Amino acid sequence: MKIVRRDLTRNGPGSVKMIPEEADDLWIAYNLIVAGDSVMAVTVRKVMREAASGGRDAERVKLKLEINVESVEYDKEGAVLRIRGKNCLENEHVKIGAFHTLEIDVNRAFVLRKDIWDSLALDVIHQASDPNASADLAVVLMQEGLCHILLIGKSITITRARIETSIPRKHGPAVAGYDKALTKFFENILLAFLKHVDFNVVRCAVIASPGFTKDQFHKHLMLEAERRQLRSVIENKSRIILVHTTSGYKHSLREVLDAPNVMNMIKDTKAAQEVRGLKDFFSMLSNDPERACYGPKHVEVAHERMAIQTLLITDELFRSSDVATRKKYVNLVDSIKASGGTVHIFSSMHVSGEQLAQLTGIAAILRFPLPDLDDIEM
Amino acid sequence: MPAKEVGTAKVWRCPICTYDNEDSMSACDICGILRNPLVKSNIQINDVAAPFKFNVPSPDDLVSSGLQSLKMKSKDNQRDTTIPVELELSAKDQESTSASVTRQRGNGVNEKDYAPTSGSIPGMPHSNVNTEAMSSKTGKVEKTIERKTASISDFTPETWMIPETVDGELSQLNLAIVGHVDSGKSTLSGRLLHLSGRISQKLMHKYEKEAKQQGKGSFAYAWALDESAEERERGITMTVGVAFFTSKKYHIVLLDSPGHRDFVPNMISGATQADAAILVVDASMGSFEAGIDATGGQTREHAQLIRSFGVDQIIVLVNKMDVVGYSKERFDFVKQKLGTFLRTCGFKESSISWVPASVMENQNLVANSSDSRLSWLVAAFAVTLSLFSQDFFASSVMLCNLPLILLCRYRGPFLMDAIDSLQLPARDYSKPLQIPICDVKSQSQSQVSACGKLETGAIRPGLKVLVMPSKEIATVRSLERDSQPCSIARAGDNVTVNLQGIEGNRVTAGSVICHPDYPVQVASQLEMKILVLEISTPIVIGSQLEFHIHHAKEAAKIVKILSLLDPKTGNVTKKSPRCLLSKQNAMVEVALQGPVCVEEYSSCRALGRVFLRASGRTIGLGVVTQIIKREN
Repeated sequence: MKIVRRDLTRNGPGSVKMIPEEADDLWIAYNLIVAGDSVMAVTVRKVMREAASGGRDAERVKLKLEINVESVEYDKEGAVLRIRGKNCLENEHVKIGAFHTLEIDVNRAFVLRKDIWDSLALDVIHQASDPNASADLAVVLMQEGLCHILLIGKSITITRARIETSIPRKHGPAVAGYDKALTKFFENILLAFLKHVDFNVVRCAVIASPGFTKDQFHKHLMLEAERRQLRSVIENKSRIILVHTTSGYKHSLREVLDAPNVMNMIKDTKAAQEVRGLKDFFSMLSNDPERACYGPKHVEVAHERMAIQTLLITDELFRSSDVATRKKYVNLVDSIKASGGTVHIFSSMHVSGEQLAQLTGIAAILRFPLPDLDDIEM
Repeated sequence: MPAKEVGTAKVWRCPICTYDNEDSMSACDICGILRNPLVKSNIQINDVAAPFKFNVPSPDDLVSSGLQSLKMKSKDNQRDTTIPVELELSAKDQESTSASVTRQRGNGVNEKDYAPTSGSIPGMPHSNVNTEAMSSKTGKVEKTIERKTASISDFTPETWMIPETVDGELSQLNLAIVGHVDSGKSTLSGRLLHLSGRISQKLMHKYEKEAKQQGKGSFAYAWALDESAEERERGITMTVGVAFFTSKKYHIVLLDSPGHRDFVPNMISGATQADAAILVVDASMGSFEAGIDATGGQTREHAQLIRSFGVDQIIVLVNKMDVVGYSKERFDFVKQKLGTFLRTCGFKESSISWVPASVMENQNLVANSSDSRLSWLVAAFAVTLSLFSQDFFASSVMLCNLPLILLCRYRGPFLMDAIDSLQLPARDYSKPLQIPICDVKSQSQSQVSACGKLETGAIRPGLKVLVMPSKEIATVRSLERDSQPCSIARAGDNVTVNLQGIEGNRVTAGSVICHPDYPVQVASQLEMKILVLEISTPIVIGSQLEFHIHHAKEAAKIVKILSLLDPKTGNVTKKSPRCLLSKQNAMVEVALQGPVCVEEYSSCRALGRVFLRASGRTIGLGVVTQIIKREN
């Protein structure tokens, strides 16, 4: 994310002009923009005009509009942000109060004007402009008959491809069929791999599977690369890592990020931190269940008693349109930070964030056990 | 079944009051005891009632089937009838029911025999009413069968579906071979096939030669089962190998399972077809301990899985005895340790048999061991013996050989003996057809081969069948069992069905072939009762797991944890717990990523058993109690 101009006061009004550079940045923008803000950007609008002869003529006009945001939508696969709202800037073609939807995609500049720039929003902006710390891992997660190709970014994980085939078993006469089906399966994965994995962007590619499927695929990949002279693969041979997981389903992504050789590469990235944080939470929950709690009510109660050591929270909670709830969470985060605890904000687009979201979206590891939490209704 | 038949005379003696009833009476005149008591509630007695040709019933049939259809009505809650004669006929109902049961058993009692029975019903007016009742009933029965989602109780199996107990014909037994990795399962299977003559000497030599070439000489026998290049190269089994051979008592289908942790899903899929199991343990030092290790030994996991498949008979083969010098102490040690564990799994002491053996040296597999090192105390095995062999053998052994104990050879059961002493579980012939598909091969355009074991019902070429969840109708072109064509396959048989009229991609492993009028339910949200095994991280709402059911697997998520249950009583101890820890019983709701064919456990056991896995271990075993969201 390129921050072009910044003009704001802490906890006060202000505006920021920014240009998203990749899909990750759009996600960040999605988290920043809430209903009530106003966004200005260059957009195209269909305008009706009366021609001299009396006939109406529709023309697409490029104009700069500022709208008061009513709702925001994020399209993951298409990587575009849609902001819907009412026009508030005087314009020759568009009346004030007319509805418009701004479509922000990569490399389109926009200005965000907010009434209150709280600490969270400032944090986000700061992180966004940080050039390094981009995870950018491509993972080919497979098992026999099923494969997912995922791109793990700074704050989002996108499934680029999902390939599923039925591979027959190896009974005597059908062994040939098995080989054929497997080769076809690998071929499909190879095509998807070449299409979606760009080694200029990605730090490394991980091939993960239970059993020996990964070795088989790796062999196939290398052979085909030699045969077809695929330069991108041949040059980056050393950046392909093999990792063992227990299944080919998406939730095994956790295990990929946990693997030591992958961990080394992405130690400092958000994704790895999130996985670690969640793992700590689960180990606490199994070893000493009274020192871990989840659910807004429990966490609130724990917070009142100043018991929270680490707070895990998803950014989805901040996106609520209700100003009061958002403020409450922001205050919670601030006060925990002030009292010396740590806060991990999980991106709900990552695997661990999804899992935390399933778990009500907010969880905490406590400093001391609170046995009577169980009695309180969740 | 305890029907006492006195010779060939047309009387039978009631077991309770010893009154001699006529052959045609199906309940005792004096005490009212049924001649052939109703077996299991599974077998729906009222299934067989109606005749097959509804259009042209003969007068005899009319009357008798009028009886039976009325009987069906009275048992079936759905249909309300106000036929006054029903009450009078209720006394006769039981007899017609058990008569129909006898007919079901194929004992040759045909419908004409019912005429005298019905003759004892007062007069013609009843017959008239019966006729009316029957015709109205007929209409209803027809309509029911035409309705797509008819209830199971309306299903009437046809005569060819019920097997006649022909002497000399061997029944099929599905035997799964499980155990820790490298314990010798594939080698055992290869050996058994070789010893029973399935694999010719020439072929065996070929395997040996090839194996030696690849540097895997000791795997020669295993190569009979592990046929793919990958498996041979690595020296492991990756998918379940299916092989057929015949013993004295059964046609045996061997399901050789992989032992590796990573391939447990394949093992689940294969062993779901099993009726009994052989658990192979490696007796050598260290290997046995590794297998029974709590954190990941496959001996442990496989034993738990096998038990939860509903298999209650298990043979424990303690293999590689030659490595430990056939030491009795080692055998006893293994037996004691594993025995306690198996008991905690739920195996009864009497249904476990222990066989020490060495597959590599062919000791104690098909004959008693000739090795003098196995000359152990006979007395130790007399107990086992008496349970499995005929009683006279055991008593004679004890009597005659007691003084000669130390000089006797090991007389415990050898492996084939133990296999022959397994009991066949009850087969559901009278339910509609259900075959969970284990494996699919697409032959050519619109022709598909699917393998699987029939769970219920029967199939033969020419039938139209329904494939769920893709809801396509196909015709059965032919059936194959053990690479030979066969004309009929019934519940319990492991067959390959060649289907016509369906595309290859519509049938996958995990689909179910069923009767077109009785489709299997397809769902993606289920309520289940689960038992949590030993887990390291607790299960919370939102936990993502792998859901395995018969041959299908899906990614699943825990949506709700409904309640904790008391393991002994099954009562609810706590509602909506925060998380689930090891060894708890709970009711949970799961949502699956994709739809699977499933039935409630109470209606079909094979399609209602669930295994939950995560992080490479089985974390829960469950049964489906309710289907919450059906896919239509």
